[in-house]
Amino acid sequence: MRGQDVRLEAMQVTYPNGFTAVQRTDMTIEAGEFFSILGPSGCGKTTILRAVSGFVDPSAGAIRIGGEDQRGKGPNDRPTALIFQNLALFPLMTVWENVAFGLEARGVSKAERKRRAMELLDLVALPDQAEKKPTELSGGQRQRVAIARALAVEPAVLLLDEPLSALDLKLRQHMRAELRAIQKKTGVTFIYITHDQGEALTMSDRIAVMNAGVIEQVGTGDEIYSNPASAFVASFVGEANQFRGRVAALEGEMAYIDTPSGKLLGRNPGGLAPGAEAILFVRPEQVGFGGAFGNRLSAALSRRDLEGAFINYELTTAGGQRIMLHKTNDGADPAPGGGATEVGFACENALILPEGPVARTGREIAA
Amino acid sequence: MSDLIRGYGRALTAFFFAAAVAWGLILIILPQFAMLERAMTLPKRQLDSSVAGNLQRDSDTCATVLATYLEAPEDAPVSNGGMAFPSASGMSTQSNSGLAIPSASGMAVPSASGMASPTASGARPYILQCDRSTTRKRLVRDPDAPKEFLDETYGLPLIEVRDTDPIEVQIERAQEINALAATLFDDLRQREAEAFPYTLDNFSVMTAARLIPLSPEQRAIEDAKLSKQLYGLIGLRFEENGEVHERIGLIILVRTLTYAVAATALALLICYPIAYKVALATPPERAVWLFLGLVIPYAIVELMRIYAWTSILDNNGVLNGALAWIGAIGPDDPIQFKRFPGTVFVVIVYTYVLFMVFPIFNVMSTLDRNQVEAARDLGAAPWRVHWRVIIPHSKPGIAVGCIATFMLAAGAFSVPRIISSGLQAEWFSQTIYNKFFESENSNVGASYSFAYTLVCFVIVGVFMWAMRTRLKDFARVQ
Repeated sequence: MRGQDVRLEAMQVTYPNGFTAVQRTDMTIEAGEFFSILGPSGCGKTTILRAVSGFVDPSAGAIRIGGEDQRGKGPNDRPTALIFQNLALFPLMTVWENVAFGLEARGVSKAERKRRAMELLDLVALPDQAEKKPTELSGGQRQRVAIARALAVEPAVLLLDEPLSALDLKLRQHMRAELRAIQKKTGVTFIYITHDQGEALTMSDRIAVMNAGVIEQVGTGDEIYSNPASAFVASFVGEANQFRGRVAALEGEMAYIDTPSGKLLGRNPGGLAPGAEAILFVRPEQVGFGGAFGNRLSAALSRRDLEGAFINYELTTAGGQRIMLHKTNDGADPAPGGGATEVGFACENALILPEGPVARTGREIAA
Repeated sequence: MSDLIRGYGRALTAFFFAAAVAWGLILIILPQFAMLERAMTLPKRQLDSSVAGNLQRDSDTCATVLATYLEAPEDAPVSNGGMAFPSASGMSTQSNSGLAIPSASGMAVPSASGMASPTASGARPYILQCDRSTTRKRLVRDPDAPKEFLDETYGLPLIEVRDTDPIEVQIERAQEINALAATLFDDLRQREAEAFPYTLDNFSVMTAARLIPLSPEQRAIEDAKLSKQLYGLIGLRFEENGEVHERIGLIILVRTLTYAVAATALALLICYPIAYKVALATPPERAVWLFLGLVIPYAIVELMRIYAWTSILDNNGVLNGALAWIGAIGPDDPIQFKRFPGTVFVVIVYTYVLFMVFPIFNVMSTLDRNQVEAARDLGAAPWRVHWRVIIPHSKPGIAVGCIATFMLAAGAFSVPRIISSGLQAEWFSQTIYNKFFESENSNVGASYSFAYTLVCFVIVGVFMWAMRTRLKDFARVQ
């Protein structure tokens, strides 16, 4: 098994009803890479996956896998294997028949099929479940059967469509590690679709963040988290406090921004000119109590949520701006009870990005 | 049970339960037993006691009427020109018509039969009952069996009422016959009551072979037919003393079942792709229209669906019109489609195809489309996707559809009757109908009907076994 690279060349997908699910995209996924496409539901990430696997034809551009144009090839002719969100195991076949189905389709003899299936079940640590039906297995076991089934056809590219979303938290965390280990062991290119940034950040070599059919940024987890390229990426990956305003003045690589909460200083990687509408982002864990910061604000504590290792505070300024503040739970609770208090953040940790669509908050999604 | 009580309460559950038991008992088990009993007994009027009873009544009436005539021959009511009046039994044992001429309260009336008045020689007007008053009565036996008569079988003297005898002698004879018949009737009734009442005679009617009179030319044509050769192979057609015999009942049975199985298979071949197209291969919003297209034919009454075909297949119907128009046939030389066995077959498929589509569609639409895509993604060719994923999933629906279509086709009555209009061999359901309502022995109809139920039951059972369909799988349909 050897991974191959996947190149999207000016690829665009427009559905017959006129909806463009994926805008013109150029992207290269390296051979043997664990690549995640991260985005909210409906952003077009699944369409990219379906286009690569051959269920959807790009309306423009090309897809190359290992340098070979995939135009006109059906899903059964491509060196890809897809793991579905609901796994789509065949309920009427036994576990080993499921795993061996791809080999069956390739005309491999039954004895050989069974041998290969047992090998793969070994790989996913399910050697003694071969004769069971998928419905008799637990969620995590089914997950591994789906992986084994996909790997059985020795794909160059494995496409995973949010396969962990149905699992509970502990199992999901365990399966992340397991998926990563299998990817390392097999060297297959993994393209992993998820709306869960935690999954994307922990497993991936690189991540593409996608919104409304557009790839907003491609980079390693660190790059994406620390240096988001757009307001959407900044707001979608991790949490961020947002201060809307207008660039007031430049100071080298930094810029001042006028916000209703006052004038704030932050990095200006996009080189925004004064007068440009912009948003200043700062991560909640980089906000602190007290006055020892470049940017200082006065706000009142409105909520305190204990999350275990962290304590999440929510404060509100006089102007109504909400500020989130995350603090490691080190035993001391620095939050003053009631009344106005001072919070702030370092200028280097604040990032000024051009005004643009931001990810919807949980409150907005619920509404 | 406790689930039911929790869901519906005690009273409603008890009602459901009672209704279910009543349904099973009254509508399924009892009718089958009643049918079986009828099938295994002979009708009363075929029994020898019934022949004796009729003779008793006839001779009694004869004596009474003659006595009236003797007292006041002029006063005897004049009847309408020599018509014979049947006795209350309404049945001549010789008659095969099975039709009773209604008589006025069964009273026998002598007719003048054109004669002016009785003469001293003892001549009398025609009285049916007196003609029937003879101990040489034929007993009801199998048509092919040698004839048997009452006097020979039960050792009675040969007595009859001869109209050449003086009337007094005739009366005496009639009374003599009446006494003998009454004794014999009681005796036979007694014996029949003690005897084992059940017999397989009615079933043997179905398997009986009939001589088929054929001219040598006809026979050469018949012998060359594949179907006739096949009947020969399974023993339904054979030669005896240089004549062809056929087990007609069984031939109709085999023929009907073959057509029903073939119709089911054809319906499956037609419906599977349709169900697949609507259930899996069309986006849901467009499938609605296809679904509507499937439902609309349901809204047409079955008879209308069938009559639509007669307008196509008629001698001056659409098909012949089209053929004449393109010049394939002469305008006065229509093809008699109604004589082709294939037409009944085609119309049956058309009429019952819907009962195949829906069960398959219903089950198929519950298949996760991802499974189809997963199979394709793993490299399976379309036929393998069907064979390994879609068909196994749809199997309960296919089984239900096949059983429904088969049972409807096997039991079809209106289609063969309307389409063939008697120009083709009967469908077995027609035979059952005829035996029930148009033969002298309706119990043969019961035996045909019961045997047919049994055969169909076995076929369905074998089919389910072959499909490896477990009963619990049917729960997946709907």
